[in-house]
Amino acid sequence: MDKDIVGQQRSVFKSVMFYVTLGGLFCFCVFPIAWMVSTAFKHKDDIFSSPPKFIFEPTLENFHHIFTEAPILHYLQNTIIISVITTIFSILVGVFAAYALARFRFRGKEDLAFYILSIRMFPPIAAAIPIFLIMKNLGLLDTRISLIIAYTTFNLPFVVWMLRDFISSLPHELEEAAMVDGKSRMGAFFGVTFPLLMPSLAAVSTLCLIFSWNEFLFALILSQRDAKTLALGLTEFMTWREIGWENIFATATILVGPVVLFSFLVQKYLVRGLTMGAVRQ
Amino acid sequence: MAKVTVRNVEKYYGKVHAVKGINIDIKDKEFMCLLGPSGCGKSTTLRMVAGLESISKGEMLIGDTVVNDLAPKDRDVAMVFENYALYPHKNVFENIAYPLRIRKYSDSEVQERVQRAAKILEIPELLDRGIAQLSGGQKQRVAIGRAIVREPKVFLMDEPISHLDAKLRTHMRGELKHLQRVLNTTMIYVTHDQLEAISMADRIVIMNLGEVQQIGTPDEIFNHPYNLFVAGFVGDPPMNFLECELVEEGGQTYLRNGGMKVPLQPAQIEAIKSTKISLNRKKAIIGIRPEDITISKEPRKDAHIEGEVYVTSPMGKDVVIEVESKGHHLKIITSINNVFDMGENVSLVFDTTKIHIFDGVSTRAVF
Repeated sequence: MDKDIVGQQRSVFKSVMFYVTLGGLFCFCVFPIAWMVSTAFKHKDDIFSSPPKFIFEPTLENFHHIFTEAPILHYLQNTIIISVITTIFSILVGVFAAYALARFRFRGKEDLAFYILSIRMFPPIAAAIPIFLIMKNLGLLDTRISLIIAYTTFNLPFVVWMLRDFISSLPHELEEAAMVDGKSRMGAFFGVTFPLLMPSLAAVSTLCLIFSWNEFLFALILSQRDAKTLALGLTEFMTWREIGWENIFATATILVGPVVLFSFLVQKYLVRGLTMGAVRQ
Repeated sequence: MAKVTVRNVEKYYGKVHAVKGINIDIKDKEFMCLLGPSGCGKSTTLRMVAGLESISKGEMLIGDTVVNDLAPKDRDVAMVFENYALYPHKNVFENIAYPLRIRKYSDSEVQERVQRAAKILEIPELLDRGIAQLSGGQKQRVAIGRAIVREPKVFLMDEPISHLDAKLRTHMRGELKHLQRVLNTTMIYVTHDQLEAISMADRIVIMNLGEVQQIGTPDEIFNHPYNLFVAGFVGDPPMNFLECELVEEGGQTYLRNGGMKVPLQPAQIEAIKSTKISLNRKKAIIGIRPEDITISKEPRKDAHIEGEVYVTSPMGKDVVIEVESKGHHLKIITSINNVFDMGENVSLVFDTTKIHIFDGVSTRAVF
């Protein structure tokens, strides 16, 4: 009897400790984001108050300021256009490359696949100057196209590698059945393989979008004003005179907000996409 | 409905010579089995007929048309895959209807054909189900339904019942054979199961290592195997083999293995002579099926081999007895009523009219 009680107490203690630890980790991870978002809605005085204010009167003046006094809307527009087009282009090109690597036999296939993957392993900073020079010579500096090209260069290997695994996990007999039933190879791909790839495409597209949305290095090197993205535009509030924290946080909230929201909406595809192929069927 | 002709067809995968110059003539409306062990080239051959594999050399004809360069969709063949290859994002009706939808059949015609196929296969109640809800046997029927709905010239089946349980497999053998008769269409069926081939096919092509070993009816394959491989592959339990010497002594010709002597009959001697094999001390291999050996507890004067029971395996009304004799293991089938114990001494008598003789060097059948 005593042993049962002790056992129960230990079990309760373990549960409590588990949830306390989990809660602590949650706060550690979420607190910076929560602080950033809350600061975006604070008056300037409330931001620097001591002790820090957790309960305050919210205001939209910071957002009003960044949209009227700074070209944040333009940067946001650039970010959306560049991210979306990069994602679409990477998926369109990548899915066919992945299909070829997954389905066809040809000499040097594995070497080619590794070459494609190795681009992703390449540190972008090492390619920054060559890419800058290429864009300069092409007259593409400070254009959206230059960023789309740069982002696609580094997103494409990821797309190809991930989709190759997903396509390989689909039985090739499905396409063969469609081909015998009356489809061409391309018809079988669009009629059978593509619908089955949708969850994987959603996952890969989401990750592509996030990579492009958050990207800073190439935006810094290749854009100045016309093609400036939001991630880079945020730094405009750090001047030699002051650091406009309220504006930085408001801009950061706009930068992070859509991505977080989007991730919540597609999270089941993200998890499925990231773990698909992990277990051989 | 069409005949299929495979003429000197070869297939290379890089340096691997998977199919080595095979010739097969499949008649119109015939049920032809491609039989052989894994890796023999039977599935590759079937896939070349379907157009899913390119042909390295040779010609493939469906009817009178050379189809080497024709895409699968243009060959008018239908195929049932080993793992069924049903479209998981479509329900049963749409899976069966898919070939018709591709060809832009009207909705009414699609409905009529699918219902007819479902009725033949006894699955009309499954038409609105998802594929994931089906059992293995049901999936197989849906896969067959998708093949028959188009009424193609040739049906191709790549081990369609290999993943079913034993009882269902036995049932489906009869169903598939009946279906082929009802549809009256050429069918090429790939299997590694010799029992499936023997029980279903009009004729069988036995393949090994990319080559055709023999083409014949089940009776020809079973009773007149062309070589050692065919003899050992067909039959369950498989044929027993003993290496012997051909010996001519005292006016008699017989096969000798240690203490065993099997006298040869005139027809057998003639067959051997006609092959121009020199008789004396030439190596030969005797083949004798388990059902053609008589086993006896009592010593017999006409016994060919004396041995000891190694193990007995009851199989319903029969029992398979494995006998060991001087390092050789022979299997005998006898009635379950004949009880033998492990370690018991027995005598074996061969039915010499049923002996097969193979050349010990080339392994070709001599008799």
